Amino acid sequence: MAVIGAFCVSVNKEICLNARMPGKCATCAEVCPHGVYALDRATGEMEVVNFNACVGCRICTEFCPENAIRINPAEPEYISRYPWTFAAIEEVHYKSQTGEYLLRGFGTHGQTPNFDMITVVPSQIASAAPLDKYREECDMQVVIGEDTCEKPVVLKQPFVWAAMSFGALSKEAKMALAIGAAMTGIATNTGEGGLVPEEAWLARGFTDKEMTRKKHDPGGYLIIQWSTGRWGVSVDYLNSGDAVEVKIGQGAKPGMGGHLLGAKVTEDVSRVRGVPVGSDALSPCRYYDVQTLDDMKRMVAFLRDVTEYQVPIFFKLGPSRPYADVAACIEAGADAISIDGLVGGTGCSPDIVTQGVGIPTIACLPPAVQALKDYGVHRKVKLIALGGIRNGLDAYKAMALGADAVGFGSAAEVALGCRVCYACQKGNCPYGITSQKPEYRARLDPIEGGKRLANFIHACAEEVKILTMLSGHGSIKDLTTEDLRAMDLNTAAITGLKLCGYERPLPIWDSMMGGNGGNGHKKMESKKVSEER
Amino acid sequence: MKTIDAKNKDLKSVNRSLKESLNGQPVVIKNATHIHGLAAGLKHGEVEIKGSAGDYVGVLNDGAVIKIMKNAGKYTADNMTKGTVIVSGSTEFGTAQYCYGGTVVIYGDSGDFTGTMNKGAAIIIAGDVGSDAGTYMLKGDLIIAGNAGDHFANYLIRGNVYIGGTWKSLGNNTKIEPMTDADIAKLRAYFETYEIDANPVVFKKIVAASEKPFYK
Repeated sequence: MAVIGAFCVSVNKEICLNARMPGKCATCAEVCPHGVYALDRATGEMEVVNFNACVGCRICTEFCPENAIRINPAEPEYISRYPWTFAAIEEVHYKSQTGEYLLRGFGTHGQTPNFDMITVVPSQIASAAPLDKYREECDMQVVIGEDTCEKPVVLKQPFVWAAMSFGALSKEAKMALAIGAAMTGIATNTGEGGLVPEEAWLARGFTDKEMTRKKHDPGGYLIIQWSTGRWGVSVDYLNSGDAVEVKIGQGAKPGMGGHLLGAKVTEDVSRVRGVPVGSDALSPCRYYDVQTLDDMKRMVAFLRDVTEYQVPIFFKLGPSRPYADVAACIEAGADAISIDGLVGGTGCSPDIVTQGVGIPTIACLPPAVQALKDYGVHRKVKLIALGGIRNGLDAYKAMALGADAVGFGSAAEVALGCRVCYACQKGNCPYGITSQKPEYRARLDPIEGGKRLANFIHACAEEVKILTMLSGHGSIKDLTTEDLRAMDLNTAAITGLKLCGYERPLPIWDSMMGGNGGNGHKKMESKKVSEER
Repeated sequence: MKTIDAKNKDLKSVNRSLKESLNGQPVVIKNATHIHGLAAGLKHGEVEIKGSAGDYVGVLNDGAVIKIMKNAGKYTADNMTKGTVIVSGSTEFGTAQYCYGGTVVIYGDSGDFTGTMNKGAAIIIAGDVGSDAGTYMLKGDLIIAGNAGDHFANYLIRGNVYIGGTWKSLGNNTKIEPMTDADIAKLRAYFETYEIDANPVVFKKIVAASEKPFYK
């Protein structure tokens, strides 16, 4: 269901420049991605013609030179009219008029089980004493591939940028992510749209192609994504990064491939992706060159071979069957597994898939961790949590649930200035983040963007340190589910965490864990995935 | 000419030996049927594989000439960007998928999904192909001298598909166009170069009906 009819738009005509001098200003109409405002070209007057289309992004209020616009939430129609809310009715009308389903960008909105109903348990007298964040050290480093490749990835902070492709993002946004990674010692990711050449040296902290002039310390890493569409993929592409990520799925649209509509396939995007200008780049939902788990093992083997056994191999999963999927990745030879929950974002997806397919991030983590434990590789094969991670608090909770690191995707876009208008697919992002149009791209300075991203990472890292140390730990590696409590029954049931006040897992988990409580599922299958196939 | 015996060796060992040996001299590899990903990611040189090869032979080839003297497994010449892969016998499922460039020649038959998502290679099959050949092609040529199975050239987006025989069923978003003199000359040049006994005049040409075939 789209976010429509949920906001009231009001324009103060006393101060609106257009109201006072028609034709002098059309800023709100220019920046609104949803056509809420319309300019009468004959009179020069601006009108709110489609207030129901407002999604509450407030881009117009930010750009309005006179601060004349107010956007306020409408009445909670979801209570009074559910299920036939205005949004539901409009959706039916749209389909009956056009014969098309709804497409949109970004991620799931509305209530889903999330990190907010988990609380952090501070350390006190009954457990190890808290550590002093201001005077003591906290180990935040994450090493990926230390036993399997020549050049492991050593993240200085337990963060990565989620994979976002060139095409979905502008070149400037990709460069900003690379600079932000270099300034903080984390990893950026090409996504599936090929390599923007500048990414390769900017991510490592250099300002030149030859990588002789280092500007940003400590320098970061570039993850090269290998996906079902194989856009812009060659042996040189694979060797231009510090890791290869095999994309299996993503949180916003598990079971579907990437969508890049033709409007965003410009000459630059065409050159990098190797597809004709203007053609839709729709990635297949699966690998045509993988039919079995054995094929996947062979794929990992040749990816290691063509990268000379130098770099780690990541897998990226959507939120499907975390235990079995993670087990398959382990068997295929993964060094790290990213699991992207329901709330993960995208540049373009059918609305029903983003809203209604997949399981929440907090529900992905316990079974994923259990699979790693059952295979004896927890904390060795690294688990990276993605999907709806907004700050250091979410990151801490994900890591205490068993992840080794977390990825920021939507939050990174927001750090660059995004106001979450859900219209990334249209290519008209007024902040130049998801647009390929020169006039919008010019608004995003990659260096300033990189600094904003670095600031965001620094702040989140400090938050993780605060929480880790007040829990009595000197390293993020020591976090466990004992550092968390569920604040409601649903969250306790989904995660297996101890319920606040009850101080033990719910009985359903007690029986699964043989009375031990704690994280994850009982060993679900004695047979390995490969034996089942 | 250097010879590598792959018997009882693994992928890493064989491909390392191969890369070290490619110094201007052709390299022969034998007993390599068990190796999957043989000759992966080569940028130059000539490789001759005696006997048959496993899956993913010549994957990510970026300039080498790779000849397989018998049959090859699944995903032959997968994601090739430059160079040539020639198979004297037949290949299995998914031959020459995701290729950006170069030339693939199969003298025997080829399995289902041959040439899927071709983005610029010339793929020539002297025999028959299975179903779904040429699916999602974006660029390049797929040339079948024999017959094709179901859903031939399914959801073709751009590029040319040529066939000398017949198909069981034609895929979505396809239309048949008359062969031009340029088409015939192009095919004749390929057939002469690779000594394939086929008459380009009798071939049919299939192109995309629309460049935007998908209901989004």
